[in-house]
Amino acid sequence: MSNIVSRILVVDDEVDTCANLSDILTDLGYQVDVAYDGTSAIELVKQNAYDVALLDLKMPGMDGLELYRRIKQLQSGTVAIVVTAYASSNTASAALAAGAWQILPKPVDLSKLLGLVDEAVGQPVVLIVDDDHDLCHTLWDLFRERGYRVCMAHDPAGAAERLRMREHNVVLIDMKLPSGTGADVFRLVRQANPTARTVLVTGARSEMEQLVEQTLSAGADAACYKPFDVPKLLEVLASLTKHEPPHADNRPDR
Amino acid sequence: MPWNKIYHLYQELQAYIGWTDDDARRVAAAADLIEPHVIELIDDFYEEIARHPDAQKVITGGTAQVERLKGTLRAWLRDLVSGKYDIDYVKRRWRVGYRHVEIGLAQVYTNAALSRLRRGIIQALERVWTGDARGLRATRTSLNMLLDLDLAIIEDAYQTEFSLRQQRAERLIAIGQVAGGIAHELRNPLNVVKTSVYYLVNARQAPPEKVRQHLERIERQVELADRVITALSDFARLPMPELHPLCAEKCLREVLELNAMPDEISVKLDFPPDLPHVLGDLRQLQIVFGNLVRNARDAMLPQGGTLTIIGRPLEDDVAITVADTGVGIPRESLERVLEPLFSTKARGMGLGLAVTRSIIDKHSGRLQVASEVGSGSQFTVRLPAAHDGSEFREGSGFQGSAKDAGA
Repeated sequence: MSNIVSRILVVDDEVDTCANLSDILTDLGYQVDVAYDGTSAIELVKQNAYDVALLDLKMPGMDGLELYRRIKQLQSGTVAIVVTAYASSNTASAALAAGAWQILPKPVDLSKLLGLVDEAVGQPVVLIVDDDHDLCHTLWDLFRERGYRVCMAHDPAGAAERLRMREHNVVLIDMKLPSGTGADVFRLVRQANPTARTVLVTGARSEMEQLVEQTLSAGADAACYKPFDVPKLLEVLASLTKHEPPHADNRPDR
Repeated sequence: MPWNKIYHLYQELQAYIGWTDDDARRVAAAADLIEPHVIELIDDFYEEIARHPDAQKVITGGTAQVERLKGTLRAWLRDLVSGKYDIDYVKRRWRVGYRHVEIGLAQVYTNAALSRLRRGIIQALERVWTGDARGLRATRTSLNMLLDLDLAIIEDAYQTEFSLRQQRAERLIAIGQVAGGIAHELRNPLNVVKTSVYYLVNARQAPPEKVRQHLERIERQVELADRVITALSDFARLPMPELHPLCAEKCLREVLELNAMPDEISVKLDFPPDLPHVLGDLRQLQIVFGNLVRNARDAMLPQGGTLTIIGRPLEDDVAITVADTGVGIPRESLERVLEPLFSTKARGMGLGLAVTRSIIDKHSGRLQVASEVGSGSQFTVRLPAAHDGSEFREGSGFQGSAKDAGA
């Protein structure tokens, strides 16, 4: 991933604040887009898979919390850092609960912010392809807590779009999908993200056994069976990404 | 404490109710009669307190405190019948009221307590009285007068101290609110300055035009911060208006030139040509209508809408309505929009409408708000009309002083 320029979205209704953050981040080699309100931010998010979004919490119209919720729906792999003059407010804690990564008080401590941005762009990206939305969201929480960035797709077409928009480190593929199979998705990964590792997933072990075996021999890295043995799944992820998850006790409970 | 003033008040009250040295002598003469009953009066008093949870709750120190309080009450009773009602006596009475506020005793209990003590003293006196009925009646009257005077001073002390503390508390709350508002309004520019400085100090490659851009940005933001402080001090000392007849329509047109409306908003002005001039301070009314027009604009963005400004004669006034088709104000906020430091905007200290109302008040005018969520708000400013060059209107004093025309 290091050869790809990380993309950052800055959203603040203060034009000067945006300009400054943009200058500082651009100087450090990031590719930066700015938006002055939630609506135009969403337009940008629809077109680009940002690595990090810096969001001002209090903005006229759509606030940072609502904006983050929409971004998460569109690009759940974007890591949000929320900036606020009211660090102790309910909205700030609601943003954390909604999945925003960090809350920073305004005026921003830039060395801290830049450290966080650097950390965020280094987090491995996992794409989950599964038609079970609830499972996707549970895995999102679970993986996010361990320092993965998590993207989601619910069918082969959605997976193709995700794969086109950004590079992923690992793709979790459910073998049984609407309008296609996991084997189709596996082939898509091979074309679009050849370096991505793949984990096949199925709950219908006997029915899918043959397809799983075939895909494994075609180069898939691992297979996991539902219901998940969660520690095992996390272990597989960690070994495929060589990622050391942060200590769980430092994380806020979700 | 201005003890002389308080003592003077006491003397005035004495004179008012007809207290004389004879009364003082009569009370002092009864001292020996009452003295043997003082202990039972005191015990009864504290037993009664124990039966009232609200009164009892200020006694937080248990039996030891009750014993101490009994000592205080004993001293108070002795003092009462001493016959000596000088400035020190009044000071001691005043301190009772002060102390009641300090310990958080509700004022009603001062009355109730004195009533109970009064009854006890009079009953004791009647039981042991050996003289004639006339003497008893006179002594009773003197005692009642004395107790009423005591009560008056204690209550005056209570109220003085109470409102002092309340003002202090309110001031603290207000300071807290102002501080919060300023903090937010100043943090934004400071944030920009701080990040620009960071860029200038740390950038690996800063082209000269970027450097200039950041320096200009810093200058601009410092000015912005300065404006926040100016707005605040303007609010703190708004001068009295200088009233002259002026054309409201012209004033509004100037305001609209200073506050350009975006294309999404269409503007309608409706002023009849024979509308009387208003009496006003042009500069201050520009602040008033500037605030109203900007609020109307903000309420309609980004969707857009129609800003309608209507001038109409109304009795002896001219009513100018600024109406928008914006988001409207929820019912629960409607009562608060004119309060200082109340704001529903993401950016704003909540001073605009408070300044607006303050100016209109000083013009002997009125500000009315009507609003419906989803359909818009109407702010109507009523200002006195200027009649035929006369700058006066019957019944109220303008000309820069509107002190007695309280809205």
